[in-house]
Amino acid sequence: MSTGAVLYAGAIGLFLIGCYAMVAERHLIRNILGLVLVESGVNLLLVAVGFRENAAAPILKAGQSAGMMVDPLPQALVLTAIVIGFGVLALALALVVRVHQAYGTLDTREVARLMRVEREASGPGAAGPRAGAKS
Amino acid sequence: MSLLLRRRFFWEEIDLMSLLDILLLVAALLASGLFVLGRGSFAGWLATVVYGLMLAVLAIAGLALDSGVAFIPSAMSFEILGRNLGWRLDGLGWFFALLTVGAAFFASWYGSGEWGRKQKRMGLQHALLALNVLAMLLLLSSGDLLSLFIGWELVSWAAFAIMTQGGGPAVAAAYRYMIYALAGAMAVFAAIMLVQNVTGGLGFADLQTAISAMSTAQVWVLFILFAAGFGVKMALMPFHLWQAPAYSETPGASSAFLNAVSARMGLFALILVLVKLTGLEALGSLAIPFTFMSAKSALMWVAAITMVVPTFIALMQTDARMLLTWHGIGQGGYMLLGVLVGTSLGTAGGLMHVFNYATYQAALFLAVTAVIHRAGTSDLDELGGLITRMPWTYVTLLMGIIGLAGLPPMNGFVSKWMIYKSLLDGGQPLLLIMAFAATLGTILSVYKLIHNIFLGQLRREHQHLKEAPVSMVLPMLILAGIGFVTGFMPGLALNITDIAQRAIGGDMLPHHLGGVTLATGSLNMLWVVGVLIGAIGAGALIFYLLGNRRYEVHQFDNYAGGHFLSADIRYHFSHEFYPGLARVIGPWYRGSIVRAEQGIGILVNVAGDLWQAVFRVAYTPLYMLLVVVLGLVFTGSWGIVP
Amino acid sequence: MNTVPQIIFPVAIPLIAAFLLPIAGRCHAGFGRIFGRAAVLVTFLASALLAWQVAGAGPASSAMGGFKAPLGIVFYADNLAMAFVLLLNIGVWLFWPSGDEDRSGPYTLLLTLLGGGAGLVLSGDLFNIFVFYEIVAVASYGLAASGGSAAGFGASLRYLLLSALGSSLALMGIALVYAAAGTLNLADLALLAPDVLRGPPGAAAFLLLLIGFGVKAELFPVNSWVPEIYASAPVRVTSLLAGIVSKLALIVILRFLVLVFPMPSAYGLLLTLGILGVLAGELAAYRARDLNSTFAWSSIAQLGVIAIAFSIPGPAGIAAGIALALHHAVVKPAFFFIADKWRGDVKLLSGGARTSPLVAALFVLLSLSIIGIPPLPGFWAKYLLLDAAFSSSPAYWLAAAVVLAGAVVEGAYLFRAAGFFYGGPQKGRGAALFMPGELVPAFVLGAVLLVAMFAIAPLGAYITSMAVQAADVPAIAAQILLGGN
Repeated sequence: MSTGAVLYAGAIGLFLIGCYAMVAERHLIRNILGLVLVESGVNLLLVAVGFRENAAAPILKAGQSAGMMVDPLPQALVLTAIVIGFGVLALALALVVRVHQAYGTLDTREVARLMRVEREASGPGAAGPRAGAKS
Repeated sequence: MSLLLRRRFFWEEIDLMSLLDILLLVAALLASGLFVLGRGSFAGWLATVVYGLMLAVLAIAGLALDSGVAFIPSAMSFEILGRNLGWRLDGLGWFFALLTVGAAFFASWYGSGEWGRKQKRMGLQHALLALNVLAMLLLLSSGDLLSLFIGWELVSWAAFAIMTQGGGPAVAAAYRYMIYALAGAMAVFAAIMLVQNVTGGLGFADLQTAISAMSTAQVWVLFILFAAGFGVKMALMPFHLWQAPAYSETPGASSAFLNAVSARMGLFALILVLVKLTGLEALGSLAIPFTFMSAKSALMWVAAITMVVPTFIALMQTDARMLLTWHGIGQGGYMLLGVLVGTSLGTAGGLMHVFNYATYQAALFLAVTAVIHRAGTSDLDELGGLITRMPWTYVTLLMGIIGLAGLPPMNGFVSKWMIYKSLLDGGQPLLLIMAFAATLGTILSVYKLIHNIFLGQLRREHQHLKEAPVSMVLPMLILAGIGFVTGFMPGLALNITDIAQRAIGGDMLPHHLGGVTLATGSLNMLWVVGVLIGAIGAGALIFYLLGNRRYEVHQFDNYAGGHFLSADIRYHFSHEFYPGLARVIGPWYRGSIVRAEQGIGILVNVAGDLWQAVFRVAYTPLYMLLVVVLGLVFTGSWGIVP
Repeated sequence: MNTVPQIIFPVAIPLIAAFLLPIAGRCHAGFGRIFGRAAVLVTFLASALLAWQVAGAGPASSAMGGFKAPLGIVFYADNLAMAFVLLLNIGVWLFWPSGDEDRSGPYTLLLTLLGGGAGLVLSGDLFNIFVFYEIVAVASYGLAASGGSAAGFGASLRYLLLSALGSSLALMGIALVYAAAGTLNLADLALLAPDVLRGPPGAAAFLLLLIGFGVKAELFPVNSWVPEIYASAPVRVTSLLAGIVSKLALIVILRFLVLVFPMPSAYGLLLTLGILGVLAGELAAYRARDLNSTFAWSSIAQLGVIAIAFSIPGPAGIAAGIALALHHAVVKPAFFFIADKWRGDVKLLSGGARTSPLVAALFVLLSLSIIGIPPLPGFWAKYLLLDAAFSSSPAYWLAAAVVLAGAVVEGAYLFRAAGFFYGGPQKGRGAALFMPGELVPAFVLGAVLLVAMFAIAPLGAYITSMAVQAADVPAIAAQILLGGN
């Protein structure tokens, strides 16, 4: 099995595991972990796209031709994507904290139910500042 | 007429504004003016006077059109998105415009007096009436398919606005109307876009080009879209359910206006698009596969069914307004049938029926409104014996129902006779039988109408009712009078329909003041009415000469079986008026179309609930992946795994 | 060819301001708000200047840092992009939080959204588009939760998970494109696409990009976050997201479709999702019981209509899509402002016309326009759509029929609500509810609609020229590649 195939298999595997966690798990933290796995899988896929068997790192030195190197662009992209993923993850966790503060649970169905209850309760007459608004 | 023709008319001197421009401008000014200052009591009188002036302008326009001018142009035109929008009034539009403004004149007059003062927000009603007139004039003077559609939508929404004025059940009825009208409008929209797709233009000529260029299937689609879309407005079966409640719940004067002309806008559009532009030959050659029918005959049968079924539904109504509006649907069938026969007699008969119907239906509605105004109800089970209390209203209603039933000496007889005659000459015996059946139903139900309101026992609570005020009685009597005069001298009305018929094309119907002369049989109403009045006069003469043995008793002075009947004893049976007939035709009232309508509603509800239930955030990642997989299959992307 | 370095201003000014704003907010409590408004104003002026240049001298481009395309990062501005940048600016200005709170958080997020959104439509590079998309996404998660309610946090979190999964799929699509073509520059891709991106790999890449960016564009079936977010976010955020940000994502999808994936299967995919979106949105809106979710669902349907328009090959479809998008951007926020006054069951509207006749009239006006009643602008937008659809293949005829049937359902639920406004007894929620100040943006939008009614002819010509420019692939490719010279 070539390195490329391993990379692709790993990427797709991570992606699928992450998807499963996002769809099937009922715990918000697990969902977020699923998201992390999905992102890792996709990042790995990007790396795999630029991967070349037996090539050097993409640092141009004297006497070396560019053809012998791994494609550097996907790596740059992955770096960016990792940073974005990190930021989104941080935001997600911050939101999880707020949700847990408000509802006392992280079970997705329970949260959805409580949200529905809250929306219905705040329906009529809630045109002004919403209940529980913090400044 | 020929004397007039030799003169130069003054409208030929006016270059800046044509008569149509004046008409549209006046209507627009009136509508906006009434919205701004419609509160005062003078608003109604102002509107009435302006409608009168507009009638005068239309009369001049009529002279111009009669003298051979093809159409009256308008300076108003726009170029939008590469399409030209223009307006011009031809004879057909003029005919319907005359009826529109005429009906508005009487409705506005009626609404300006005592009746209007009792209404809430009458100023708004006047303004909305003016808006309706403006919208209808725009529709009737449209010069291409796009302006036709714009006018169509304006008419629909203006009618919707005036229908909601009743409040309560009126809003529900108007809402139902709005959904029907919107669906119809969307069908028309699709149809005109189909035409544009074929020819690249939206002129009336483009429609003719498109039909000759399209395949048979496309022409069928076009025909169905147009017929259904415009048919909704004139309540052709099976799109008729909205009309009776919507028109009934509209406040009286506006209701008379809507009843008289609003549904006729659908007829106008059908005549314009299917008869004038497409041509009846083209419709006749559009055969339905595996049958002996064509698009034309199918539409004729739809018209015939629309004529019969609503008439018998009307028979079962217990509310005077509902009874009349259901008849309105049926009468529309006569008009369309007459026009579709296609002979000069049929077309003239159909068009004259439009005119006649407008006169007697408006009169009838105004009379019923007068009854509601005094007695407080139009429930046929709770009225009776009003003939002595409201004699003039009774006379109007009597003349109206004679017209509605199509009996001499009223004008309804003439137009129905022409339609029967054209069916007979056109070799359509089955349709003729349908027409007779519908007329039978009409006669039965209008008898129920007049009997339950005016004849029989006077109710104690109505003992001190007074006749409606002059401001109400006069307009309706004049309308009934027009009905009688044009029945006595149908040539007057046929002069008007001539102008429309010339615009449609085809042969003209030779006629004279008293009626028509045909090779296969003639009608001269001067004779018919003369003999009728003569016979009645002779009978009266004999009655009075033989001693005039009558003496008056009070309405409450009644005996039965030798017993005095006090006013508390009900002996005037108005409830379940035709029990025997109801037993016979009752099983036919399956309400299958009502159920179809409910079914569509349920379908939309269930589908909506289903979407909402399935569409949860929690499931969405799953859908996302599902769509990706399905999409990959759809686009055949499986071969890309490296 | 037109090289304009100022093209960076609409992106850079708000982003820089967004970072400076918290500092400014620290200095003085009320200063943050003024600073933010000023930044939006400056951005608007810079964008307007750029739009003026672009309108006069034709499309412009600029390569960042002097690196030429395809290696460098290129921005590309044509009339279409500038129209939506201006729209975004106006939207942010109009929907700027009106409250007297001095939190700088929402202001920062709004400025970030402004910069990111401008970058989204101006970028000439696939990966850059992805980055700006993420910036917009993060800003909108924050804004959606800025109401401060617990339901807002929950909805925002669920939206985030969904959107991030979508972004991952989009990134996967980008990886596929790169694997096939070896470049991510849109112009380069436009030139290479006929050779390397036709057939299955291209279709798969487009599918992934469509689903990924479709989350924000409210495409079927990845739009289930819409009712939840729009019900719990502050009305101004809702207006901005529904009215404008969703359109930016659609514009990006349009660019992909026109430049990189102009093939039948891609058009077919967008068409299918659009039709399903219209059906799902209209039917669900019909069953919605409160105004807010009614408008949320109907927003899904209308974006489906825009997707259908964009899926029609050729400039006619693009023009129809732009017209529909602009119309929707004007009408939908106004609707949400009205809905915000009457939260909850539609029956609460009962008698509303008596206490606030102007609001009721505005509601009817907006309803008529969005159903497509002539002579209001909505009709002409729909007219353009049908015109384009009927001159395409029969699949689009079906789409046109669905759109028309959808309009009937739309009329049914909008006028059911209008019926509650005008009919029925008053339910006690009287004059206190109607505070004109809070509805100013809605009335402004209503006025814009009325003015537009009288300017259909010039607007139509302008939109058509915009579409022709956006459909001219060789010219765009040449401009992007030559930019930075």
